[in-house]
Amino acid sequence: MNNLFRFFILIIPIVGILFFYNILTEDKFYPGANFKNINVPEFKLTGLQSESMFVNKDLDNEMLLNVWASWCITCRIEHGFLMKLQSEGVLVTGLNYKDEATDAINWLNLYGNPYNYNLHDRKGSLALDMGVTGAPETFLIKNGVVLVHYSGEVNQTIWDKVFIPIITENEMFK
Amino acid sequence: MKKIILLNFLFLSSVSFTSEVYIFESNVDEQRFYKLIHEVRCPKCTSGSIASSNAPVSEDLKIKIAELINEGYSDKEIKDYAKARFGNEVLYDPEINRSTYFLWFGPFFFLAVVLLGFTFRRKIG
Repeated sequence: MNNLFRFFILIIPIVGILFFYNILTEDKFYPGANFKNINVPEFKLTGLQSESMFVNKDLDNEMLLNVWASWCITCRIEHGFLMKLQSEGVLVTGLNYKDEATDAINWLNLYGNPYNYNLHDRKGSLALDMGVTGAPETFLIKNGVVLVHYSGEVNQTIWDKVFIPIITENEMFK
Repeated sequence: MKKIILLNFLFLSSVSFTSEVYIFESNVDEQRFYKLIHEVRCPKCTSGSIASSNAPVSEDLKIKIAELINEGYSDKEIKDYAKARFGNEVLYDPEINRSTYFLWFGPFFFLAVVLLGFTFRRKIG
């Protein structure tokens, strides 16, 4: 009995260490990534630079939807990478979140515009419907279905590890 | 005169601090609202219900819940709305289903194991 007890004292911490080592070093361990497929909810929003209305069918078949705002500091950091994606031919549409149109347009003029166009979600209604908790967040959308929902800054590592496998699998952006 | 002006500031301050007024058709609906916002976790905070949070997403969620109540949604439908968007962890009381059996009944299982262990050890000793 005593030996059995000693054995357990040794084995329990080892199992614990292995368990956490396994989780924390896992390649796919990105807490911000969500791969649940949902349809883009019905929306009707004005554009940021134009007064025209946008609805679901105006979205491109293969696109990124990037939630951003001029008050969002991480968006400023993410901005450079979005410029790079745009130059590589990835369609990035902006969802301007809880922002004043003038502030947002100034921000784009100042730093450059990586978006093909912007939706202006002044009240955050579409964002709430899509499960956005803040900015920046990025959605990979194909034919009106969300394939990846990433909360947080997208950079080269996140792009390679989280987005590229799904993009290759679905043969997007060719 | 100066005192009256200052007094006015005092009375007006409460008005300007009111962030959102929720309007319901009945008292029952209002009670449901206050019960629900205590059961839904703020998706952006470490821990706290949306009732206790003034994060933008919590404010939006509260407005949305009030809207859904007025549109006649049931409590379950509203919880499902939040769950579909922000995951299972948005509900404070996890539902009992296959993936949460361990969470609900695990502690009783461990208690049983320990109690059995104790009786077993007495017999050996």
